[in-house]
Amino acid sequence: MRRIFYLVIGLLTAGGLGLLIQRLTWGLAVTRLTSAVPWGLWIAIYIYFVGLSAGSFLLSTLIYVFGLKQLERVGRLSLLAAIVSLFGAMLFVLIDLGHPERALQMIFSWHVTSVMAWEFLFYIAYIFLMVAELWYLMRDDLYRASQTEGGIRGTLARVLTFGYRQPADAAAAAATDQKAHSIVKVLGILGLPLAIGVHGGTGAIFGVVAARPYWNSGLFPILFIVSALASGAALITFLFALLGRRDGEYLSILQRLAGLMILFISLDALLLSAEFLVHLYRGMESHSAQYQLLFGRYALLFWGGEVGFGMVLPTLIVAFRRNSAAWLGGAGLSMLLGIVAVRFNIVVPAYWEPMLKGLDRAVTDPRFSFLYTPGVLEAGLTIGMIAMMVLAFALAVEALPFYELAPGQSKAGVKSGIKVTAGL
Amino acid sequence: MKAGTIGVALAAVLGPTLAEGAPAPVKGAPAAPPPLPRLGVAEEDTIVRMQRDLERALKKPVDQRRWVMVIDLRMCTGCTACLNACRAENVLPPGVVYRVVLEEEQGAYPNVRRFFLPRPCMQCEKPACTQVCPVSATYKRPDGIVAIDYEKCIGCRYCVTACPYGARSFDFGEYFTTNVAGQNQPQPYETRPSFEYGQARGRKPLQSPIGNARKCTFCLHRLNQGMLPACITTCIGRASFFGDANDPASLVAELLGQAGLWRLKEEAGTGPQVYYLR
Repeated sequence: MRRIFYLVIGLLTAGGLGLLIQRLTWGLAVTRLTSAVPWGLWIAIYIYFVGLSAGSFLLSTLIYVFGLKQLERVGRLSLLAAIVSLFGAMLFVLIDLGHPERALQMIFSWHVTSVMAWEFLFYIAYIFLMVAELWYLMRDDLYRASQTEGGIRGTLARVLTFGYRQPADAAAAAATDQKAHSIVKVLGILGLPLAIGVHGGTGAIFGVVAARPYWNSGLFPILFIVSALASGAALITFLFALLGRRDGEYLSILQRLAGLMILFISLDALLLSAEFLVHLYRGMESHSAQYQLLFGRYALLFWGGEVGFGMVLPTLIVAFRRNSAAWLGGAGLSMLLGIVAVRFNIVVPAYWEPMLKGLDRAVTDPRFSFLYTPGVLEAGLTIGMIAMMVLAFALAVEALPFYELAPGQSKAGVKSGIKVTAGL
Repeated sequence: MKAGTIGVALAAVLGPTLAEGAPAPVKGAPAAPPPLPRLGVAEEDTIVRMQRDLERALKKPVDQRRWVMVIDLRMCTGCTACLNACRAENVLPPGVVYRVVLEEEQGAYPNVRRFFLPRPCMQCEKPACTQVCPVSATYKRPDGIVAIDYEKCIGCRYCVTACPYGARSFDFGEYFTTNVAGQNQPQPYETRPSFEYGQARGRKPLQSPIGNARKCTFCLHRLNQGMLPACITTCIGRASFFGDANDPASLVAELLGQAGLWRLKEEAGTGPQVYYLR
């Protein structure tokens, strides 16, 4: 199972890297983007990953800041998922730039009135904070691994301890442990506004665009946060169902996570319907993005993806199959797929409505088309880069001390998914 | 500077009565009937007048100029000469258009009319595009033109998204003449340098302006050489006017006092510097 997983993911990653070379050689001409629909699939996946990251991180603060002890075993997993997701987000925004080689202009030529410029600062601070927090959570385990393990894992642990040594005597060890915990708590507290800024701010990138009535709402950044929480809970539910040690706590942890997921889905549904109802009663016109979502070009993606996979299916599963870990993991997966539709539906339909009447007919040039469907290369590169993120995540889980997930002597219950052999 | 005979003839048709004491433009007021054409060969071509206005404006420091365009929709025939002159002048590739001519049909047969609206960049007073740029690559110049620093622009396309007039486009690095009749190399006229911003830039793969946001600059590079924008000089109906609004003697300053003056999406609060007359 494990071999098949690595084979598939490895092949997808290799394919993705091949397409990445195409992308870097030919520029954005490889996409189906146009001057009328300048943001497409890659921007949608970028906000997807930012949402996963913020959601997973906020879930980890429930544990380390608000002391939700029952979920402690998913704490590090959430943090790692948050870190990898944010790197994924940065990767997708990078490949979407017309001049990726100039990305650091964001620092050297920073612009105070641009939400995007602020976001970039947020992302950097946020990555450092998350990595620091994970390190403090792991340093004792890393130290132990550096003493006991050989091979790659041992070497990696020795490098990553950065010279940290766990005191030999128990009292001193307890003291350093105490200190690490309080540092983690401080970082978690600082991370709260940061994570909210990271994703709420990403929502604000869209929300402030007065020219796009679909985005231009004060509710937009808040919708982003809530859907981020839902997607983060879904990701961790799915990952823990797949990787968690099958012991007495396994199912109860999953049930708690799934419960949180449903709570966030409900809040998300509330905000979404609030937005749409206001538009419906205002008498929405057929060329508005909302109309296209509810009844038009994006209706299948909206009702099937966003509502079906993202809301109804996970809720039904959690309601009626709550005693099956596999079903709960499936609910998480369904939600993860649904959120892809949510993100796509945030970005692309906003371009449906021409800025001026007749603008869609003024230029007969495919690069001015108002209809955008991702091209094969765009979709392929997306799958390849996501595979690369999954690969990075899997390798990190294997190489770093994630003992709380280790199967150890647990009962074999690994029917579906990969068995991570972190403890072997 | 001498007026061409065609120009004189057209000016005879055009010749809007720039009467002193014309009523101030009132937003939402019904459009005034077109003024009676003033016949007579004494009238000079508006292009000649604008050329003199331009020469006067260039003698002033740059921050005392305020470039403005006025487009008289009653005179526009929808020929798209302006659009094509712009494409040629700025060597625009597929996907990049600085000036479009919007068309709309009004009424039903036999009471039908086609309505044309040329849309260059509005060079807004408060541009939505410049404030969202994460790297300060696009900015408002002291003379009012919204410019892009091609070397700074990272190609994120936030400005393309934010412009309420759809006046920005993205350069995908493509050509009209590749993959045509077995031809893989673009025709030389597509790769010749463009002189935007006074910099001669050829088209080389992945190099600016490819991968950048692009927009109308009121032909800044031509202005600096004492030439009117390409769309102005090619307008067969003499419907497009250009000049320095800070100069009370200029043609555009006179036109700004006409009745029936309006701006696109006034409610957006962007303060466009392109005015329409109808």
